[in-house]
Amino acid sequence: MTRQYFVAQVSEIAPGAKKLLEVGGHSIGVYNVAGQFYALRNVCPHQGAELCKGLTTALIVSSGSGTYGFEREGEIVRCPWHQYEFDMKTGCMIVDASQRTKTYEVTVDTFGVSVEEGKVFVHI
Amino acid sequence: MGEVNQESTDQQTIKRPKLKRSIIDCDIHHYTGMEVLKPYLPRIYLEFMKTYASEGPSAAGFNGGIGGRMVDAFPPGGGHAGSDLTHMQEHHLNPYNVEYGILTGLGYGMQSSGNYDYAAAICSAVNDYTIEHWLSQDRRLRGSVFIPKQDPNLSAIEIDRVGGRSDMVQVIVANGASKPYGNRFYDPIYEACVRHNLPFTIHVGGEGAGINASPTGAGHVSHYIESRALRSQVMAAHLASFIFDGVFDRFPTLRVVLQESGVFWIPPYLWKLDQDWKALRVQTPWVRKKPSEYFRDNVRVTTQPIEETPRREIFDNMMESIYANETLMFCSDYPHWDFDSPLLALPKLDNELWDRIFYQNAANLYHLPPRKSEVREEQA
Repeated sequence: MTRQYFVAQVSEIAPGAKKLLEVGGHSIGVYNVAGQFYALRNVCPHQGAELCKGLTTALIVSSGSGTYGFEREGEIVRCPWHQYEFDMKTGCMIVDASQRTKTYEVTVDTFGVSVEEGKVFVHI
Repeated sequence: MGEVNQESTDQQTIKRPKLKRSIIDCDIHHYTGMEVLKPYLPRIYLEFMKTYASEGPSAAGFNGGIGGRMVDAFPPGGGHAGSDLTHMQEHHLNPYNVEYGILTGLGYGMQSSGNYDYAAAICSAVNDYTIEHWLSQDRRLRGSVFIPKQDPNLSAIEIDRVGGRSDMVQVIVANGASKPYGNRFYDPIYEACVRHNLPFTIHVGGEGAGINASPTGAGHVSHYIESRALRSQVMAAHLASFIFDGVFDRFPTLRVVLQESGVFWIPPYLWKLDQDWKALRVQTPWVRKKPSEYFRDNVRVTTQPIEETPRREIFDNMMESIYANETLMFCSDYPHWDFDSPLLALPKLDNELWDRIFYQNAANLYHLPPRKSEVREEQA
């Protein structure tokens, strides 16, 4: 049974920014990636650190030894302790999908107002 | 500062005589510091520099975390992680119910310096600062005696100077060294350790730095992950050296602590040493018992960063093989990025083994009192 929690006005969380808060007894992080909102449980499945206090980064990729590339800007969260990387969309660890934190559905209600004045809801 | 400014102003106004005939100057240094290079560097290296707080032209400083620290360990008022005792109390000592914490300082660079007197001065400064600003401020904390280990006689003087204090509980050196630590060159250090009943702790760091030997047997590696994984190579050399150079024969009460190079590489290494000792004992007849028995009697190991095994039964086997109930002591490495949480770094242990690893083994080694809660229970 999911419940809908108001977490922020759209204008509160700029693209590239995040907001950490408690809703319904859960510590979560709400992220704005280029206008799309995501919500993650603020607990690393590895040793229990507050995952969402870590860096928000791109996925670093490579086409061969000594080369680096950047994909999926702002969609990867690195744990503040051991820097394990997690996919914001799935909650899965990049190199081991069995290590996973919860993700929550996020909706934006802009009924009758501009997008900036809209309300961000997380469904838990 | 004012004087320097005055001098530079004076220099600007100095008029130099002009040479009549033109010349070629073959060595003029223009400034190429990192901040002027940044616009020309690939993004990935800018991010590495920023993330790991390492701006030197050598990539050796690419650590982990943020500047090598846990992201959430920086004091709210600003400053370095681990620099604020109040924050450390609230963030670590209090919530994790740390009854005693052994301080191990930061950076062992002076121990790889060829300037021994300078190294000795830095070590003394670390020890005096630690006593004045940390040990005297929180009764839970205990200190480590930093020594200029490249000069054993100066080291012994420093151990005699501060090692008799009840709040100094061990002597500490970096893993990187110019000679394996069992070499008799270091005997004055072990004489002083035994004199003050202090364990000798080898903490990871300094491998291949300054006057120290190569970080691996195959030379310098390319990436931090490689040097990190191979620090156990250097530690393994020290462990064998202690046993086969006869340190424990000369100093039977000396205790050695191996810190932060991993844990589970040790059991198969001990098996190999035991096996080879059977065949080669005649070459080192002063080694009077199996190498693994010296390990049990004289060596202790701290947990972090303990290896995550693929299956629980492998973990249990390794724990038994390293005699964990006698030799293993918990440590967190706070506030470094690869911190091990006292709650989740180890799988669930039975009560007795947990007690040995999280309290008793360290209490025995460092001569610390029994846990207060137990004292209360007994009194009740």
